Amino acid sequence: MTISIRQAFGETLYNLAKTNRNIYVVDMDLKSSLCLNKFAQKYPRRFIECGVAENNAAAIAAGLAKTGKTVFLTSFACFSPAINWNTIKQSIAYNQANVKIIGSHAGLLSTDLGATHQMLEDVALMSAMPNMEVFSPIDSIETEKLITTISHSKTPAYVRLVRATTPQVFDKKLTFTIGKSHILKKGEDITIVGHGPILNQAFDSSLPKKVSLEIINCSSIKPLDVATIVKSVKKTKHLICLEDHQKNGGLGQMIASILLEKNIHPKFVHLAVDNRFGQSGRDSKKLYDYYKIGVNNLIDAINKIL
Amino acid sequence: MHYTYLMLSFNKDHPLDQLSSELRLDLLEIIYQSGGGHIGGSLSSIDLMTSVYFSQIFDLKKDHFILSAGHLCTALYVVLAKAGYFSPKLLPSYSSFGSLLQGHVSAQVPGVEYSSGSLGQGLSFACGLALGDRDNKTICLTSDGEHQEGQIWEAVMFAKKYQLGNLINIVDFNGYQIDGAVKDIMPLNDLAAKYISFGWSVTTVDGHDFNQIFKALKKESVLYPHCIIAKTTLGKGISYMENNYNYHDVKNLSPDLYNQALVQLRSKL
Repeated sequence: MTISIRQAFGETLYNLAKTNRNIYVVDMDLKSSLCLNKFAQKYPRRFIECGVAENNAAAIAAGLAKTGKTVFLTSFACFSPAINWNTIKQSIAYNQANVKIIGSHAGLLSTDLGATHQMLEDVALMSAMPNMEVFSPIDSIETEKLITTISHSKTPAYVRLVRATTPQVFDKKLTFTIGKSHILKKGEDITIVGHGPILNQAFDSSLPKKVSLEIINCSSIKPLDVATIVKSVKKTKHLICLEDHQKNGGLGQMIASILLEKNIHPKFVHLAVDNRFGQSGRDSKKLYDYYKIGVNNLIDAINKIL
Repeated sequence: MHYTYLMLSFNKDHPLDQLSSELRLDLLEIIYQSGGGHIGGSLSSIDLMTSVYFSQIFDLKKDHFILSAGHLCTALYVVLAKAGYFSPKLLPSYSSFGSLLQGHVSAQVPGVEYSSGSLGQGLSFACGLALGDRDNKTICLTSDGEHQEGQIWEAVMFAKKYQLGNLINIVDFNGYQIDGAVKDIMPLNDLAAKYISFGWSVTTVDGHDFNQIFKALKKESVLYPHCIIAKTTLGKGISYMENNYNYHDVKNLSPDLYNQALVQLRSKL
């Protein structure tokens, strides 16, 4: 049965908490949205409800972490890390507190609630922060493996989740390693790198059949698997970065900067939201087309780049 | 580790008065030698920190002290050095390149649990500690101006909800902030009444009277977080700095003003 990324998060944390008694949740009135009702019912002592107070919650999480807990700080990305960025910087990252910041409902994909709730800047905000890892899983299985892996680590981390039920990419045999990407499909002509479920567009049946695509799932944004990306780009000499995020500060700009510093110059297209706010829309395909990050834009990019 | 000063001094109103004067001299020295620092609030809060570290009310191997107003680090650094957490020889390096003693309080320093500098976060962090370690006390020190940060009130609500009876928030209420008097910049009005209405117990003390401070720090509670509003004097002990917000921080104190301060502080030894 296919479950959503956020359901996978809630289930995984519930299961991990059975054996790891140090797992705590610090929540900001969004336990239902993050599928944490079961956790809250089963482990009320380890479920700390802060109400709609994101700055307080971030520093509460940091203080708790300093008493030996592994704390998951849960909210929507548009609130945490957006409202409480400086509290995360000082109390979590600078103080090296073992807090995992879970920002759900990220990107255009996640919501029909409009621009205030469509977080398109989180990767930029969190990647800029020292002592902070940044992850963006593509499906429920990768979410499960990622959450399990980081629950064993002491490093502060940000995990970007989406609301929608999205296609399964991986099977249960997946191993998730911090700092490693997965080549989902090997190819020769163009490297397509992305993070999150938007990367599924690279498998769309309407894409040109004659072009051989190498598709890399870059769920570990920081640390970044530079070696795999560089190797692929050196081979294909063409790069398309695809993300449900702003261009400015997104994964595409990070990769472009790294490649330039290494004197690698592929033909490059960055498909991301270009300096605009989102808006409501029940059909994510329409939103993606409007913001020029849809399948048609990917087809155009492939045709243009070769 | 913990300095036993109580036995050493008999000629003052309180055994810690002598230590308090010595620490003020240390504070003046590091701020003069390093070229600057937040001297006004350090002088207003130093008796509060001295009380936490030298009263023997707390066991700081287990209890926690969180300095939320991180710019008051010079006061904490001289207190920690005196208490034996690190060598006093480190003090002159304060805020210089490569020094452990950062310009705002840093957890790299032995004895410091929390790095701060951006106001309003420390009380939340202290709540997290108090929740995760209910068997021990967590003492937080905030400033009055810091209470203009909304996050303080988020933490105040939280502490009541989770009945953090092991949490003490000491407010260094000197009445001033960088640009002027708190009552002009953004008045706090009746701070005690605010805390009481949020469900805390509140004690107001003279923040330079060790007898009053100790009594307040000893107050035990199971259900109620405790706020100690310490009425203090900005720049306490150096006459030209007292209640003068231009001494919130000081850069390159002149030799003349330094000597005046030295004479005044030495006269109290």
